[in-house]
Amino acid sequence: MSAALKLTDLSKTFPVGKRLFGAPKAGVKAVQPLSLTVEQGETLGIVGESGCGKSTLARMLVGLLPPTTGQIEIDGAPLDNADPATFGQKIQYVFQDPISSLNPRKTIRQIMDAPLRHLHGMDAKARTARIAEIFAAVNLREEFLDRYPHEFSGGQAQRIGIARALAADARILILDEPVSALDVSVQAQVLNLLADLKQKFGLTYIFISHDLAVVEAVSDRVAVLYFGSVVEVGPADQVFAAPRHPYTRLLADSAPVVGRALAAPEAKETELPDPLNPPEGCAFRARCPRATEVCAGAVPSLEVQSDSVSAACFHPLADTD
Amino acid sequence: MSFLRLLSRNRLALAGLIVMSVVVLLALLTPILPLPDPDVTNTAERFKKPFSERALLGTDHLGRDLASRLMWGTRLSLAVGFAAAVAAATIGAAIGVIAGFYGGRVDNVIMRGVDMLMGFPYILLALAIVAALGPGLLNALIAVAAVNIPFFARNIRGVTVGIAHKEFVDAARLCGMSNARIIITEVVPNVVPVIVIAMSTTIGWMILETAGLSFLGLGSQPPQADLGSMLGEARSALITNPHTSVVPGAMILVIVMAINLLGDGVRDALDPRLKSGALSRPMPTTMVRRTDPVPQPEGDGILSLRNLQTQFHVKDRIYKAVGGVDLSVRPGECLGIIGESGSGKSVTALSIMGLVASPPGVITGGAVHYKGEDLIGAPYETLRHLRGDRVAYIFQDPLATLHPLYTVGAQLIEAIQSHHRTSTSEARARAIELLKSVRIPNAEARVDNYPHEMSGGMRQRVGIAMALANDPEVIIADEPTTALDVTVQAQILALLDDLRRERGLAIIFITHDFGVVAQLCDRVAVMYAGRIVEEGPTDAILNAPAHPYTARLMACVPELGQGRRQLAAIPGLPPVVDKLPAGCAFADRCPKAASACRSGDIDLGPFGPARKIRCIDPEIPVQEATA
Amino acid sequence: MTGYIVKRLISAVPVLLGISVIVFLIMAMIPGDPATAILGSYATPENVEKLNRDLGLDKPLVQRYFIWLGNMLQGDFGRSFSLNRAVLDEVLERFNATLLLAGTSFVICSILGVAAGVVSAARQYGLADKAITFAVLLGISIPSFFLGMMMILIFAVNLRWFPVSGMWPIYGARDLSALISHLTLPAIALAVVATGVIARLSRSAMLEVLRQDFIRTARAKGVHERSVIWRHGLRAAMVSIIPVLGIQAGFVLSGAVYIEMVFQWPGVGRMLVDAILKRDILLVQGGVVFVAACYVLFNIAVDVAQSLLDPRIKA
Ligand SMILES: Nc1ncnc2c1ncn2[C@@H]1O[C@H](COP(=O)(O)OP(=O)(O)OP(=O)(O)O)[C@@H](O)[C@H]1O
Ligand code: SF4
Ligand code: SF4
Ligand SMILES: [Mg+2]
Repeated sequence: MSAALKLTDLSKTFPVGKRLFGAPKAGVKAVQPLSLTVEQGETLGIVGESGCGKSTLARMLVGLLPPTTGQIEIDGAPLDNADPATFGQKIQYVFQDPISSLNPRKTIRQIMDAPLRHLHGMDAKARTARIAEIFAAVNLREEFLDRYPHEFSGGQAQRIGIARALAADARILILDEPVSALDVSVQAQVLNLLADLKQKFGLTYIFISHDLAVVEAVSDRVAVLYFGSVVEVGPADQVFAAPRHPYTRLLADSAPVVGRALAAPEAKETELPDPLNPPEGCAFRARCPRATEVCAGAVPSLEVQSDSVSAACFHPLADTD
Repeated sequence: MSFLRLLSRNRLALAGLIVMSVVVLLALLTPILPLPDPDVTNTAERFKKPFSERALLGTDHLGRDLASRLMWGTRLSLAVGFAAAVAAATIGAAIGVIAGFYGGRVDNVIMRGVDMLMGFPYILLALAIVAALGPGLLNALIAVAAVNIPFFARNIRGVTVGIAHKEFVDAARLCGMSNARIIITEVVPNVVPVIVIAMSTTIGWMILETAGLSFLGLGSQPPQADLGSMLGEARSALITNPHTSVVPGAMILVIVMAINLLGDGVRDALDPRLKSGALSRPMPTTMVRRTDPVPQPEGDGILSLRNLQTQFHVKDRIYKAVGGVDLSVRPGECLGIIGESGSGKSVTALSIMGLVASPPGVITGGAVHYKGEDLIGAPYETLRHLRGDRVAYIFQDPLATLHPLYTVGAQLIEAIQSHHRTSTSEARARAIELLKSVRIPNAEARVDNYPHEMSGGMRQRVGIAMALANDPEVIIADEPTTALDVTVQAQILALLDDLRRERGLAIIFITHDFGVVAQLCDRVAVMYAGRIVEEGPTDAILNAPAHPYTARLMACVPELGQGRRQLAAIPGLPPVVDKLPAGCAFADRCPKAASACRSGDIDLGPFGPARKIRCIDPEIPVQEATA
Repeated sequence: MTGYIVKRLISAVPVLLGISVIVFLIMAMIPGDPATAILGSYATPENVEKLNRDLGLDKPLVQRYFIWLGNMLQGDFGRSFSLNRAVLDEVLERFNATLLLAGTSFVICSILGVAAGVVSAARQYGLADKAITFAVLLGISIPSFFLGMMMILIFAVNLRWFPVSGMWPIYGARDLSALISHLTLPAIALAVVATGVIARLSRSAMLEVLRQDFIRTARAKGVHERSVIWRHGLRAAMVSIIPVLGIQAGFVLSGAVYIEMVFQWPGVGRMLVDAILKRDILLVQGGVVFVAACYVLFNIAVDVAQSLLDPRIKA
């Protein structure tokens, strides 16, 4: 059986300093060539700090952004046309901001109708039946259908967003920070709903978040993104418990946890490198306590370390570190 | 419907609407009214004064009846003004929507053209067009419409760009809609209000402009007259027979004024920001309207809140954002306030120094004692002296909270000089010292940076430096790390913790993250729906939460290191604070709710030696309170 | 900074070219035959043809444009047939008068407008705000030509404080005080509308700014309210007010056309209207291009001011 989703050397470079005609002055590499596989029924978590390319990656996966290089394969078949409608039937997107992902001037019914009509060409009767089915699945009452988005709370609106994604009948959902805009008590409701739906419909998720704890709680595997590249990928229970890449370690140590004393895990006051002026060698070098000369000379590639954990580092951490 | 209601509530707009209705009605009825022919000259009857026999408003230099000419002229002016507005709005909006939606090169080319047209003082363009087409009312109309197209195009483009980048447009793409369909069903409905606003606020101006061209003799040609050309013809008799000028001039004034009033009303009714009354300027201190007796100071806190109540009065609704909060912080202590969004944490914090935006905020009860002195209702100067000097704030979003147009150094210097008479060079030296104390590398150079030249973490360090500028005794930090990445957050928290220990600061730290509270705070207060539901030493509460809400909230939050799992969710939503239930606000979501919970107010009572709780059925027996 | 100015000046070149194309095209739309228009309908066909040749009208459009442009770049705007004078000379002379009038008005409306807007915002819903709002409404609703006429009636004819019209006394010294007394009424009449618009937009810009977080920060620092409004508030609001001033400069220049008519001010606006009525096309063309070019340069100055004010605009 082939992987649900396979990315090969996918990358995105944004032009900067646009000109009216001719080539742009420079490019920002938002996503460096990156390869990942997601198995059928799996949840792949993607974590990283702001600006590391999470959303760019997600938008490429659903065809909202054409990749600069590389290709996307779904169920073994390449998807190389950048038409969101073709993507739409196979892979769908749940947005971070639930309210702004719903057109304020349409009723929920009109919003739900769109994918059924334009992706599946259903007639009115079939649509009504299908919407009822989906709404039951996401615990929304059908009386909501004739209301407008502003009448809903964030949690409800996010359920509607999820319902719309389900309506497209895609097997793969890209969840881009689906709970970051929600309150913690509502966040848990939505996360649990997502888990149920996955079971019920046999979905595959890519779950993007900056919250390590949430990602750990919902994912099978986790990929850690830094400066547009995957620096570590492996089973969720191992990546944060026993990080191999120094950056993953830094992330895990920085997360505030009840019962752990406060400490600045990073002595140097440094932050992300400048994307317009990327450093040579390993991008994490300036912040890395283990950096050596090797790290300045070449970019480390993602290599299997142990127990299916891969990390892109010349001096990966061992269990004893 | 609500639009019309909003409009009618606005008295000025209503007045404009009534005047306009009358004028339009009269203009429509002009052909069937018993008026003399406006173009028949009768030189024997020249310059009759108003209210003379058979000529209500007098006659003009050719003896034509002014009242009749006024009606016909109004009719013409209105028609031309409206037509120009509609034409300009339609064409301009179409151009703007297309440029804004497609972006990129299409946008670039179109907008350069628009800029080019806007490079003319508009009348030059209009004059050039009239010069080419020849004088005449229709040509004047074309000219006025044409010169206004760029204004509409630019305005609408700006709005469209905003909408085209909204997530619902992406969502529509993923639902398989074509660009044309997206423009029609997703973009245009959201742009229409802006078009209507733009049109209603410029239509008066268009009427003025067409009248102007006619006034210059380039619009309507004799004998036909609109209001502008009437005025133009009357000009030569201005001194001898002013009424011939005043009549058409006053008419234009009345029409344009009515349209402007109406247009403003339309704008206010359609602009959602104005609906909520949000576009009002906050006053220097929060309004205070206390009716109950003011509580007396008690306890040894340097800053203590007693029964603080803050409300927002929006239209006819009252949001009880803070419904009686008691808190106190001692020197050197860090007090955490934790709660979900909307629970009233920020409003509590801002109320202390009277910084809640007002209108609509009002402090309706309670007291804030700083060293025994009540700050609520204190005179502005007293508050100002304490603000930033004794009690300083650190806010959430460091980009929005620093002034974008001053260097961080200038802002630090200002903070110092607001409270101390020091020379600027001394203050600058102190600013650099402050930047060093918050561990900003290369402080001597950084002091001259603008906020946008710094990263988020740096900016928040500047925010902290600014709070430290005058060695305050209390720092109130409202989610200072929420906008930051975890690695940066860890640095900032460590910094704050060090500073507090070095300087013996009292900190009120607001957050929604239990991990942060656990690491930083000595005591914690949990807020729900504007009130504190549980308070006590951090360890005790986190180890053994006593309030059902605290316990459930903690269970909701995944914590790193526990692996993949099902989370315990709290069903339902927090109550809206303008419709709080009687009794316990958590009752609707609490599995232990009993009828006693809903019958009356539940007090924040002691629970063991050091804790307080607002619940009649705690999760743990009181003996375990110190665990 | 000089780099930025140079960049903006260079970027003005295509705009200026565009403006010349637009003007040229509009003029090329003129129906019928300009030579006939110039010579009147009794002209002999030979004369018409000769004039057409003189004006270069027998050549293709593109070629005509470049000839016209080339001549203009050499300072040759052609000759006005109605005045029998070089277009450029006439335009320069008239433009001086307009500049004096419009410049004075612009200074008045900028200062008054911004000040009124700030006061109005700072005292939102107070008495001052209501008074200013009403005055502004009146100001933006009154046609400037009507206002000018009423001002003549009241201040010149009835009260005799100021002369009725013109730029200089017919008899008597052409000194500064004479100029000021002639300038006062038209400059004020011209400024009123723009003052209203600027006050209105300044008010809303201020209200917008005063709600921002950084204003709250300033207050939390203990900055005095006066500074909060004028230093923090106005400075930030100027970022959106300055472009408005730039646009309003165009409106003042435009409004000058009416005011010049009403007050018999010998400016470029009146010249253009006369030229249109006499179908003196070259004069119209030259006047429009010249004034538009000056306006483009003025807008560059506005942009430079903006970039001085706002460090976020990359210099
Ligand atoms: N300017 C305002 N006008 C009207 N209501 C307001 C205003 N500001 C706050 N509120 C209301 O006051 C209540 C408390 O808000 P507050 O900002 O204190 O919450 P919070 O606990 O700080 O939330 P968050 O975690 O989102 O910062 C909310 O119901 C909010 O809607
Ligand atoms: S490659 Fe070198 S610099 Fe990069 S993370 Fe590994 S040890 Fe650090
Ligand atoms: S008072 Fe009653 S409803 Fe409220 S939290 Fe306690 S047990 Fe639950
Ligand atoms: Mg808050």
